[in-house]
Amino acid sequence: MIEGLFYLLLFPGLVFQVVCGLAYEWLDRKLLALFQRRVGPPWYQPLVDMIKLFSKEDLLPKGVNERIAGLLPLLSLSAVLTAGLYVPIAGFSLYAFEGDLIVISFLMSVPTLAYYLAGILSIGIYSLLGGGRSLLQYFSYEVPFLIALIGPAVMAGSWSVEGIMTSQHLLGPFILYQPLGFILAFVGLIGKLKRDPLDIPSASSEVVGGSLTEYTGSKLALWHLVMNMQAVVGIFLLINLYLGRSGMTKPIIAIIIFIVECLVIMGMLSATSAVFTRLRIDQLAGVGWRILVPLAFAQLAFVILMGV
Amino acid sequence: MTKITIPIGPQHPLLKEPLSMKIDISGERVLGGSLRLGYVHRGIERLAQKRNYVQNVHLIERVCGICSHIHTTTYCHGVESLLNVEVPIRAYYLRALMCELERIHSHLLWLGILAKHVGLDTIFMHAWHDRELALDIMEEITGGRVLHAANQIGGVRFDLDEAQVAMIRTAVEKLHIQVEGVLDVIENEPALIARTRGVAPVSADMIKKYCVVGPIARASGVDVDMRRDNPIPPYDQMEFSVVTLPDGDALARILVRVHETRESIYLCERILRDIPEGPVNTRVPRKVPAGEVIIRSEAPRGELFYYLRSDGTDKPARLKIRTPTLAALCLLPEQMSAIQVADIPVVLAGIDLCVACADR
Repeated sequence: MIEGLFYLLLFPGLVFQVVCGLAYEWLDRKLLALFQRRVGPPWYQPLVDMIKLFSKEDLLPKGVNERIAGLLPLLSLSAVLTAGLYVPIAGFSLYAFEGDLIVISFLMSVPTLAYYLAGILSIGIYSLLGGGRSLLQYFSYEVPFLIALIGPAVMAGSWSVEGIMTSQHLLGPFILYQPLGFILAFVGLIGKLKRDPLDIPSASSEVVGGSLTEYTGSKLALWHLVMNMQAVVGIFLLINLYLGRSGMTKPIIAIIIFIVECLVIMGMLSATSAVFTRLRIDQLAGVGWRILVPLAFAQLAFVILMGV
Repeated sequence: MTKITIPIGPQHPLLKEPLSMKIDISGERVLGGSLRLGYVHRGIERLAQKRNYVQNVHLIERVCGICSHIHTTTYCHGVESLLNVEVPIRAYYLRALMCELERIHSHLLWLGILAKHVGLDTIFMHAWHDRELALDIMEEITGGRVLHAANQIGGVRFDLDEAQVAMIRTAVEKLHIQVEGVLDVIENEPALIARTRGVAPVSADMIKKYCVVGPIARASGVDVDMRRDNPIPPYDQMEFSVVTLPDGDALARILVRVHETRESIYLCERILRDIPEGPVNTRVPRKVPAGEVIIRSEAPRGELFYYLRSDGTDKPARLKIRTPTLAALCLLPEQMSAIQVADIPVVLAGIDLCVACADR
């Protein structure tokens, strides 16, 4: 009982993920600042931002169902937290079972759908536009993302993230066999996180704040937390699926390698944000269905043929 | 899909100055839009009639926060032609140097805003970083970054010594190298080209119908540049190319300004090389003989038009200012159709809004 509570609340549960989420936000902002010749915020900035938002008045437009509006970020938060429990961290996994990859990919979609609902439910033109766009974007990146995730599963012959990770002890990191799949999963992750250059649903020059335009105070803080934690879980997932280590190592070395891998993927995310222009939604749909989906199928076919 | 109207402004992340647009959209398609101006009207034309000619130099400088120098240059040139005084050649060169620096800084500012609007924050930061160099030069020679107070009737209020010329020359060279890096990215970034090619094209006929001037007109193939067509000295003695592109779309508007930035850096180097020695100002009488004059000059955003009438006293009887942005804004509702919501920032950035200029 106490052990279970420890797992849920401290590690790898709530506290650990919140800390990782805040660290992710700080690193991201700092790296982006370096690319843009700025100084960037101090390390405690995301934390004080969050505290400030929690202390603010919580306002919503007249006619919005406050209960549902408050429930949506909480629902997303719990979905992301649950997904985080199933993703092994530095080879340490708690609740792995056959098929948890499917559960994780489902749970990772919940925030996007909740984001869409938040846009539709909060009465505001920009929210409406942002909500619609988030759903359109979802259909563009999610399909190649999921097809890309099938690759490692087929190769390892297992639908469990832990199984995929351990099978790389023998075969070597899957990124060597499926570089294309890794890139597709990476693009899908950017789309999931609504990061620049795929920040179409929340582009401030087009739709002000997107779905979250009308959100304030603690609810907005929760939304930001959800996005950050989703990023952390996504990065952990990519590492487990594509960068699994070869052979057994000491735990301390495993942890160091894991952190380095996290930082590399973080750097890639920030560099992508810094370098690319935001696409238009029709352009994204075109790229998603005409380029990414065929590429994902090609990668999958390659994996299957290699298995034969 | 139902039609909904989205408000852009008076306060919106897209706008740096207050302006109100109501845009009708259906899904992601833009159906049309209307425009409302006047949020920063300060009655400058009326105020100018109550102040004397010398005081007006400082009032006119406050028409615009970006192109403040070209306004005073145009005004002073008008008063000087009414007075019929001989302005020293060196003063003209110094004015032109400031004008070109101002064009560089205005275009870099615009480039940053464009990049910000399309989600390319890195270029935004780099362009504004390089713009600081141009501002530093202007601060070094006049003491002001935005309001320079460089002009007076009969000349300029500052002079350059050898050390300053050398400093500006090295700074301009540095600016040249840095700006070239940014412009290179802008010209070759495929996603940016995909975002802007073919967006909101404007035909040359439309440009002439709405009397649109400056880079927007040149991007549609209308070959106008007041520096060449109706030159204030020393532009009559300078060789430079006026870039025009035939396409008239958002990409052409970007490329025209990119080329102009290069041309302005080149002109700065030319001015620093050719600048003659001599005095920088002359004494002029306070009272201006009766008469009227029209002055046209090339501001960063296009043709700036001043009409000045004097009744023989020390105050102007009428001062009319027509800024390039006003004409471009009239074209805006025309452009707000057959585009997508995501193109609105691109179209607005293509105009290079200066609402303070337009409202006066």
